[in-house]
Amino acid sequence: MNIDEYISSGILEAYVMDQLSPAERTEVEQAAADHPEIREELEKIELSMETLAFATAVTPPEGMKAKLMQQIGETRNDSKETPVVSMQPDKSMGVLRFAAAASVLVALASAVMAFTYWKKWQSAEDQLADMIAQNAQFAENYNQVNQQLDDIQNAVAIMNNKAYRRVVMAGTDNAPDAQATIYWNEATADVYLSIQNLKELSKDQQYQLWAIIDGKPVDAGVFDPNTGNFLVQMKNITAGAAAFAVTIEPRGGSENPSLETMQVVGNV
Amino acid sequence: MPHPNQQIDQEQLVARLRTKEADAFSYLYDNYSAAIYGAISRIVNDENVAQEVLQDAFMKFWDKIERYDPSKGRFFTWMVNISRNLAIDKLRSKEMKKVGKTNNIETYVSGIERSKLNHLNVDGIGLKETLATLRDEEKFILEMVYFKGYTQSEISDEFDIPLGTVKTRLRMGLKNMRKVLQVE
Repeated sequence: MNIDEYISSGILEAYVMDQLSPAERTEVEQAAADHPEIREELEKIELSMETLAFATAVTPPEGMKAKLMQQIGETRNDSKETPVVSMQPDKSMGVLRFAAAASVLVALASAVMAFTYWKKWQSAEDQLADMIAQNAQFAENYNQVNQQLDDIQNAVAIMNNKAYRRVVMAGTDNAPDAQATIYWNEATADVYLSIQNLKELSKDQQYQLWAIIDGKPVDAGVFDPNTGNFLVQMKNITAGAAAFAVTIEPRGGSENPSLETMQVVGNV
Repeated sequence: MPHPNQQIDQEQLVARLRTKEADAFSYLYDNYSAAIYGAISRIVNDENVAQEVLQDAFMKFWDKIERYDPSKGRFFTWMVNISRNLAIDKLRSKEMKKVGKTNNIETYVSGIERSKLNHLNVDGIGLKETLATLRDEEKFILEMVYFKGYTQSEISDEFDIPLGTVKTRLRMGLKNMRKVLQVE
């Protein structure tokens, strides 16, 4: 054992101040028995503590000594139980008081904690609701985007399909900037409309698509200008169409086109 | 010796206390109560509680004197440790820790110098000066352990100082104190 190191570790001071575990105490006692230097050091520490205590002494109040002398007198004269019995109620009262104080404290503490946790729980609940709503919104957006993606994929498939004829309808004098495109599959009779530029209509109006077959207009269905869809499927048109045109009609469409309202027209 | 006014040395005193001699107890009180009371009231701030602890401590010295083992250390060390532990127990049971411990060591020492000091065996001003010359970290540990009743591991936990460091600082602090207290 390196004695200097042992001494300078501070364990001896802790021993003198009764701050060691029983195992550590035994160790120090053994070390002191084995090494006189340690014994000596312990003595010095004790003396310095003692000196410090006397240097910082405080005289207790008068009357203290008399009380104590009386107390030890009782223990000497009477049977030893007497003072113990007289102390007992005091101590248990102390314990009771302490227990009561402790229980009040515990109750207060748990009330505070309950409130704190309730608040936390509430805000967590709110947050959860927000997040569920957000999640639903995300799911909806996702579905919409997914739907649009499907539409676009379908549209691209149709546009690139050579079975579809592309008929560009240009603006008439009524609407020189208007434009729309028809994709028409003669074999299947499927007709799709793609709107490039058509003006807004009032609520009681709708656009109507016409196919011109043998010089006569044939209804190909009504549509609104802003469906949001990339391609709008219209009524089937079998072979023979020479041109397509769009007029403005009362909502629901007309049997015969109001030719003076024609917006776009294109030859096949 | 730090307290030359004592005619009976500690060994003799212990022997007489063991025979339950009331005069020995009276002598014990006259010569040691102030040092013990000082140690207690540095831990317990409340004067009434400190008196209670002092009373309990002296009754324990009287009742448990058989338990004192001279081979384990000095009689005073035994007494002051009993007192300190009683004071700490009381402090904890009364939740007094939060109410506040004693003043810091300097104001305490100057307080003693003014009025209460009973056994002034070292120069009080010298003591104060030594405390002032201690490094802050040593003074802090000494104050917490010796004057306020913290255990070393409590200081380590509460102030996040490694236990080994607490021990060394306490040792250095006490060692520096010793020089002024003229123990070596």
